[in-house]
Amino acid sequence: MNPALSERTSSRVRPDSTWAAMIQMAAHEVFQLMVNSDVQICENPPEAQSGKVSAMVGMAGTLGAIFRFRCAEESAISIAKKMLGVQKIDNVSEAFDAMGEICNMLAGNFKAKVSILADGCLLSVPTVVVGEDYEVRSVPSGEHIEVCLQYEGKPMWLTLEISS
Amino acid sequence: MKAIKVLIVDDSAVMRKIVERCLRQAGIDVKEVVEASNGIEGLAAVKAGPVDLILSDINMPAMDGLEFLQGLRGEANASNTPVIMITTEGSESRVVEALTAGARGYIRKPFTPDQVKERVTPLLEAMR
Repeated sequence: MNPALSERTSSRVRPDSTWAAMIQMAAHEVFQLMVNSDVQICENPPEAQSGKVSAMVGMAGTLGAIFRFRCAEESAISIAKKMLGVQKIDNVSEAFDAMGEICNMLAGNFKAKVSILADGCLLSVPTVVVGEDYEVRSVPSGEHIEVCLQYEGKPMWLTLEISS
Repeated sequence: MKAIKVLIVDDSAVMRKIVERCLRQAGIDVKEVVEASNGIEGLAAVKAGPVDLILSDINMPAMDGLEFLQGLRGEANASNTPVIMITTEGSESRVVEALTAGARGYIRKPFTPDQVKERVTPLLEAMR
């Protein structure tokens, strides 16, 4: 293990009640600056998450977690078009690339807002999964923070799966 | 200010396009953009010919931005080229590491074209 990371894992951070609000705040900022759009709180979120595109970033150090951003493919395409300032993207892979970058920025911006995480936690490069027929099984002792937001009237989910 | 040749190093093609667009929106006269998707490709691009400015992500597969910065030290083509790191990391220690390794500044993602201009313009003016 990276010695710097090893030192950081010695003092694990536990989530607190402000983290969901921090995730929301991070999302507002990222969408305003990079997508030139607002996101709203989803007042009546669907019971189960759905959406064909999921981007994930690992967090290691004082927090061991996966930060996941999931939305419909249509939303991912719209996000990519707005990020690039174009009417049409060349290829759907650009939308997946954009999702990875947005997830990276969401995780980084959230981390920056929680002072105890800012210096003690490193991010992985993003991974994007395309497809709906999958299930996430968290570790039994893990915790889970889920925020559902609306983008152009469609739900999207930001989830922090904490492993330890 | 003279037209510049820029190297943009980022594993995301979308991010590379956004950085280029921000430079142009900031009024910077970009004559050529060279793209690389990690530090290894970035070093190869520098070996192939000098550039006026390098903007590099930190968190990349294969060779990250900090290793790329270290690799640039021995490159004659990059001895005076300013490097600005672009990062999602809120971590002060990563930024300090980058500045110690030779970066001349950093931009935190998410960013606006104005923030890019604010970081890049003074470096280009100093090169005149």
